[in-house]
Amino acid sequence: MNLQADNIALHGRTFLVGDKIKPLCLQACVLLIPFVIFGVFLLFYGVNPVQLYISMVRSTFGDLYGFGEVLLKTTPILLTGLAAALPARAGLINVGGEGQLAIGALFSTWCAVFYLERFPSWAGIPLMLAAGALGGAVWAGITAFLKIKGKLNETITSLLLNYVATFTVGLFVHGLLKDPKSFNWPFSPEIAPALRLPVVDGTRLHAGIAIALALVLVVWFILYKTRIGFRIRVLGSNYLAAERAGFKVNKMYFWVLIAAGALAGIAGMIEIAGIEGRLRPTTGVNYGYLGFLAAWMAWNHPLRLAVSAFVLGMISVAGNSLEIGSGLPSSSVYILMALVLFFMLGSGRRLKR
Amino acid sequence: MKVTRKSADTCILRTEGLTKRFGSLIANKEIDLEIKPGSIHAILGENGAGKSTLMKMLYGVYEPDGGKIYMDGEVVSLHPPIKAKAKGIGMVFQDFRLIPAMTVLDNIALAVSDGGWRLKRKQLRERILKVSAKYGLSVDPDAYVWQLDLGERQRLEIVKVLLVPGTRIIIFDEPTSVLVPQEVESFLRMLDLLRKDGYGIVLITHKINEVLACADQVTVLRSGQITFRATREEGLEEEALIAAMMGAGTLKPVVKHAGDAKEERQTVLRIERGTIIGNHGETVLKDIELSLKQGEITGVAGISGSGQRELAETLFGLRGLSSGRLTIDGKEMTADTKSFMDAGVSFVSEDPLRESVIPGFTILEHMVLDGIPMKPKRAGIDWPYVRRLLENSEEARALALADADRRADQLSGGNVQRMVLARALIRQPKILIISYPSRGLDIGTTHTIQQQLVTLAERGTAVLLFSEDLDELFKLSDRLIVLSGKRLLGPYRPSETNAAEIGFRMLKGESA
Repeated sequence: MNLQADNIALHGRTFLVGDKIKPLCLQACVLLIPFVIFGVFLLFYGVNPVQLYISMVRSTFGDLYGFGEVLLKTTPILLTGLAAALPARAGLINVGGEGQLAIGALFSTWCAVFYLERFPSWAGIPLMLAAGALGGAVWAGITAFLKIKGKLNETITSLLLNYVATFTVGLFVHGLLKDPKSFNWPFSPEIAPALRLPVVDGTRLHAGIAIALALVLVVWFILYKTRIGFRIRVLGSNYLAAERAGFKVNKMYFWVLIAAGALAGIAGMIEIAGIEGRLRPTTGVNYGYLGFLAAWMAWNHPLRLAVSAFVLGMISVAGNSLEIGSGLPSSSVYILMALVLFFMLGSGRRLKR
Repeated sequence: MKVTRKSADTCILRTEGLTKRFGSLIANKEIDLEIKPGSIHAILGENGAGKSTLMKMLYGVYEPDGGKIYMDGEVVSLHPPIKAKAKGIGMVFQDFRLIPAMTVLDNIALAVSDGGWRLKRKQLRERILKVSAKYGLSVDPDAYVWQLDLGERQRLEIVKVLLVPGTRIIIFDEPTSVLVPQEVESFLRMLDLLRKDGYGIVLITHKINEVLACADQVTVLRSGQITFRATREEGLEEEALIAAMMGAGTLKPVVKHAGDAKEERQTVLRIERGTIIGNHGETVLKDIELSLKQGEITGVAGISGSGQRELAETLFGLRGLSSGRLTIDGKEMTADTKSFMDAGVSFVSEDPLRESVIPGFTILEHMVLDGIPMKPKRAGIDWPYVRRLLENSEEARALALADADRRADQLSGGNVQRMVLARALIRQPKILIISYPSRGLDIGTTHTIQQQLVTLAERGTAVLLFSEDLDELFKLSDRLIVLSGKRLLGPYRPSETNAAEIGFRMLKGESA
């Protein structure tokens, strides 16, 4: 038994290269197979999958506008992806990016509409960002509190709170935050132009992507280069060992969830300040789940997340061209995403080792 | 089922030049082995000598890379295990393959199938009772496995193997490591009965006493090769066996200076009227009194599952006392691991593989968790400093710790044990709570560890040593306590008691 284990370790050192290639191939397969299966699905509906995939890539890289659109979709996915990946490194499953984003959007809109109306950009935007982060953190705080004080599983509570968040946003846009000039449509008043994020000329692309990428680097740095990150990763790999090393496990769980909520909340703020300009019941819908998917695709690694979020951004945009070009509803790309997640989950166990 | 006496000289199973490689490493090299009916064949060897690999080839887990296995004179292939089982080879594993949530009867039914559709519980129960009465293997067919202690589980495993039709060879993998002395005696009696009934018995062990007590034939393995072979008629001598196991290096005995009995040592940790509750809300230990003294090794004996784990966890702040007081240096402690660590307590858990190894992390990275201080370097950790400290530590060197950059989850059990021990020792703790330090380790390493514990105590550490090996407890302890029936008995002076008395208390408590 011992000999065998020793030997495996020895093996790993001697044939490091071979051992690394195999998981990489497997990873590639896991990412490719869903596209093949979705391709078969498309064939049944008379759409040429090869053409679609090509047009997908072309519309992304073909012109600045298309590229901007993809990055627009990528931005919130990156942030909600971080909101899933960071807790995952600590051994927590946060499915609540959706709700945390919504409440972040609610908080930031509330602040923008009622307090930051006359603020200049340099003060108003950071404050609005902080409000969004606070909103997400508060929402994640409920999950964290229930986890620590009530021993409730964070996966369940964060998921269920998503629905509560959606209805909370609905309550506000139908009531306290409803635009008086909206002729009874459920949305908030528009935020001041000074609070809008700067936009790249010729596209709709705004500064949000820079914020998101910066936060990706921050999370990566914290996880892999700092003592607290080391502790988080220890906790995520073996919480018994963390407990035995004297870590305040509950405190760590709490703050990691709060940080995750803040990240998702920032995504909500960016949606408001970057694109929508006002809060609607549909603001940011699905980005929480897409972020979760992106985090899984990236094995919860922040830098790989940048890639997976971009791929999901591409697929989302492709939905539009699919609808225009073939008559299939744009939501049919969710089938592709579901397939991706399905294969990721299936292979997760095998690749973990 | 029975093998006739007539065929006694011919072997049931014979191997010729059996070889197994793992990559570049040769785990077993040209092993010739004979297993005869009505005879006990002991395989002795240190950990990593290749005993387990050899047994796994005989049980069909591994396919040999070279050599042949003959049964009744014909070449056979035993891989996978189902073939070995069909050919009459049974194995009693060290880590039992049982399902805790099911009854004894159902566990046996899983292994013993007569091929029919219906589960014939009544018939099976009769067979179980018959076999267990015959060999003195008392098991209650209706008890749930989670209710059984380790000794009972082992008996269940043996019954399971015996009930498989056609079993001729039984392989025991370190069978006595889970038994108390009294149980070892009855185990050896049972082996004798099995031998008389013509079973071929293979006994894997590292305990020389047992080999001397029962084996008809001994094969000693070292580094995957046979270094010694003898039968009882040729004479079995302890020295020769040790020499064959250890090779050229000889063991220095663990030196333990007799403590000054007169001088009363300072108490560093104390539990007064402490009650400890288990995971299911049951009382595990009631109204216990315990004090650990500077420079003393306190040994804890007890049948496994008598509250060792819960007591150890309480002493490291992982579990709170439900009533009573726990003080360190007179200061009352609450259940908080960090404050216990700050008070100088170090902890080696009974299951380091599960509780200490962090998958994907290297040995070096494990060192900063309760070992070498996590020295800051800007926002990160000063790894070169940690590495220097680790490389300069005599504890790590004495334990022959594996390379600091190796991933801990790829180490063998023995190497993991070395790692957690080195970590605890490097810290020079004021109080060391250590569970089963020599479990799964070879004689050489066990000696090193025991010596290190003694040295640590001489430097003033209060050591609480949990062990299932009474020899070890007697050899190292200044005082002995026994956990039995929710009570903590003792302390006793090792010089004023003996293994039989302690064993009796483990089983029956104080009063009986």
